[in-house]
Amino acid sequence: MEAPPVTVMPVTGGTINMMEYLLQGSVLDQALDSLLHRLRGLCDSMEPETFTDHELVYLLKGQQGNPFILRARRSLSHPNTPWHLRYLGQPEVGDKSRHALVRNCVDVATSHNLPEFLNEMGFRMDHEFVATGHMFRKGAMKIVVSKLSRILVPGNTENTERLSLSCLVELSVLAPAGQDTVSEDMRSLAEQLKPLLHLEKIDPSKQRH
Amino acid sequence: MFWSFFCIRLRFLVFQQREEKQLEASVESLISRVAHVKNALHSFIYKLENEYERLTWPSVLDNFALLSGQLNTINKLLRNEKTPSFRNQVIIPLLLSPDRDEDLAKLTEQRVPVFSHEIVPDYLRTKPDPEVEEQEKQLSTEAARIGPEVAQKQIQTLNKLCSNVLEKLSNPREDREAENAAQRQNKPFFNPTDTNALVAAVAFGKGLSKCRPPGPVAQGHQGQGQMMSGGPTLQQVTIGGGSGQQAGMGGPVAPQQQGQPGKMPSSIKTNIKSASGSMHPYNR
Repeated sequence: MEAPPVTVMPVTGGTINMMEYLLQGSVLDQALDSLLHRLRGLCDSMEPETFTDHELVYLLKGQQGNPFILRARRSLSHPNTPWHLRYLGQPEVGDKSRHALVRNCVDVATSHNLPEFLNEMGFRMDHEFVATGHMFRKGAMKIVVSKLSRILVPGNTENTERLSLSCLVELSVLAPAGQDTVSEDMRSLAEQLKPLLHLEKIDPSKQRH
Repeated sequence: MFWSFFCIRLRFLVFQQREEKQLEASVESLISRVAHVKNALHSFIYKLENEYERLTWPSVLDNFALLSGQLNTINKLLRNEKTPSFRNQVIIPLLLSPDRDEDLAKLTEQRVPVFSHEIVPDYLRTKPDPEVEEQEKQLSTEAARIGPEVAQKQIQTLNKLCSNVLEKLSNPREDREAENAAQRQNKPFFNPTDTNALVAAVAFGKGLSKCRPPGPVAQGHQGQGQMMSGGPTLQQVTIGGGSGQQAGMGGPVAPQQQGQPGKMPSSIKTNIKSASGSMHPYNR
């Protein structure tokens, strides 16, 4: 009996097929303040939320080439909130005119014994990092400005070092499959953030080399 | 002689009458202008208090502009040559009473119902407030202190700055755009290489290995077939054959957790295969 094939098809059955539309960019630290001001003006809600999260990426090596990736995330600033498990599929290669990166996304909240559970299931942690920053919302769009730090000693989230002098900015929308109008809204918001920030769809597979 | 004295007296009386008429006319116009300002303030305050959510910054600016324009007209009126100097007039209250005066109340829209001793210092005040007086005195001593030449130089600098700003504002837009674009290019706000590095880090952990052992140690361990994450581990898929030895211990159970959390065991594939193959724990 072979192990069930690890598949990268969108997960279906039971829930609506949610897709994540994503645009990414970065901003240097010295321009971070102006970006935060601009976002505060453009987005809803008076005060942006700050967060400090520890994300662990788990891999399951399957029969064929690509391993199955799950991302576990927990808040370091609110230790009692549930852990967050997320599956992100491969980016959809649709028409090139679509402005954002589209990929399947499944999100669940889990209890605090998630790492042990994943280890028992056979996943192994590949890498982890700490992200700290601000989150803004505008309608259905979510903008996250985060500083990434690498963890020097595994499991020790106090001892971190910044990955680079820039902050990563991600503009994302979670929407059911097929709604391509959200990418138009995303593009107009990205236009408003220029020239401080160039949000574009970056294909991660092109970054490997 | 009596006749000349009489002429002079007559001319003086006429002059006085003209003065009085002028005074009356200017006071009337001043009252009407002040009434305009009062109405504008009244509607502005009403808007601020009641339509707070719907108010936009441009309409607030419009209100301020209206008030400023009205104050300007009052200033112009006061500076007009036809206006007699109000400083020469003195207002003396002839009768103060603590009783309510209905006429006065109606005239002032119920704001001043009683013409009494309390309201006289506020309403008939001619000197500025003590704080304002203090500030004015400070400013005049400061001005006297710096001397006329320094003052002149400061005036010239101010004039030059103002004319520069005016020139920049009145220049056609294209000139301004060119300057701005040149300035902006000197200060980049983002670094594309950083963008790529960050995206790679988030997407598949480039540069983010979970443990970073020093180089030689990694080489030593790799000889045993363990997966040390010296580099991006996601790129390596097929594992060395040494991991097959662990298959015996696994059985149908999921592969055991390795001692150190940082290692990536490669035995998943082999474990499952062997469990379903010949090695059944309940076989003899």
